[in-house]
Amino acid sequence: MALIEVERPETEVKEERQEPVRVRGLPFFPHFVLREVVVMCIIAGSLVLLASVYPAGLLEPADPFDTPSPIFPEWYFLYVFGFLKFWTWDIGPVPAKIIGVTVPMVLWYGLLMLVPFIDRNPSTDIRKRKVAVTLGVIALLGVLFFTYYSIVFH
Amino acid sequence: MDLADKIYKWLDDRFKLRELLPPIVKHPAPENVISNPLYCLGGTAFLCFLILVVTGIFLAMYYKPTPEEAYKSVEHIMTEVPFGSLIRSMHHWAANVMIAAVMLHMIRIYFMGAYKKPRELNWVVGIFLLLITTTFGFSGYLLPWDQLAFWATKIGTGIAGSIPVMGEYISLILMGESDIGAETLTRFFALHVLILPATIVALLGLHFMMVRIQGISGRL
Ligand code: HEM
Repeated sequence: MALIEVERPETEVKEERQEPVRVRGLPFFPHFVLREVVVMCIIAGSLVLLASVYPAGLLEPADPFDTPSPIFPEWYFLYVFGFLKFWTWDIGPVPAKIIGVTVPMVLWYGLLMLVPFIDRNPSTDIRKRKVAVTLGVIALLGVLFFTYYSIVFH
Repeated sequence: MDLADKIYKWLDDRFKLRELLPPIVKHPAPENVISNPLYCLGGTAFLCFLILVVTGIFLAMYYKPTPEEAYKSVEHIMTEVPFGSLIRSMHHWAANVMIAAVMLHMIRIYFMGAYKKPRELNWVVGIFLLLITTTFGFSGYLLPWDQLAFWATKIGTGIAGSIPVMGEYISLILMGESDIGAETLTRFFALHVLILPATIVALLGLHFMMVRIQGISGRL
């Protein structure tokens, strides 16, 4: 196996070390590609297995005059439902419902998009990023909590 | 000289493969990236996307996007079309695994701080990819036109519709009329099989190009 030395682009981690960091690297082909192929086989196999054991469902045909219960959205939208249900407080002139839809969709995605511009700390060392890591953990727990909330109280 | 060599030489004469290939093939990937499974998540999402394209094309051969036919065509896929049930179920599972993989990928980027200079824009492109991936899920959910599909979409469009300022337009653009109906179904279908795929391919191209130019951030 041919190990080759790679120079990292200088733009990176300049703050922490003067000389460019050297990382041992392997050629993209065949090493990287081979790993991808192995991963692909595992995932494709798991998908076939999942699909055979738990086939996709199909309920009765849609009927606009008969509301079923319970109605669940896809799991990755549950937190929106959860937050909407959780937030029952008006803030000044803004009704609770508007806050309930705006916070988990507009504000949340807006905030996510701005992450690299809010976090100006150049370090990638997890021990020197206490604020970012704490906020990240809180956000994760929040999404999990509202997902849970939407399942339990719906 | 065997056949593979001959083909290589034929192509090389015409396309200068000897100059084109080495930078691609020998391009180094850092060792810790090859051995750390956390770096597989983006690739996993991409693989799921490829599986979704293939199974989706097969589904589109049998699916009919009208309120009268949609449910029956999905039932037909599930019960009569050879391997239809497997194909639809794989589409279903690949979609869910893709979303999970994208989210975990994003979590890894966040906690490793891989969005920092010079990769800020790739994070922004990533957020758009996340939005597109979930919109794929949202639009696909309606297509079988069963009770769950109909009512979950009703609530979903209702929520999107109550976003201040833009909500009204979003729900009108999505539904095409004041309530979910034939118009909504064809719109969701067009979104799901034409608009979103074209958009995600463009953004994935951008995403991968940036990873290629900037390298993977990685000093573990
Ligand atoms: C359709 C969805 C996506 C696909 C297929 C995808 C694919 C990939 C792949 C294959 C890589 C190479 C490294 C790795 O796999 O970890 C990567 C890197 C990256 N992705 Fe994604 N990605 C997606 C969504 C996202 C999202 C939602 C974000 C964040 C908001 C994101 C941000 C990044 C960043 C910043 C990098 C560079 C990481 C580094 O240099 O370490 N991507 N992406």
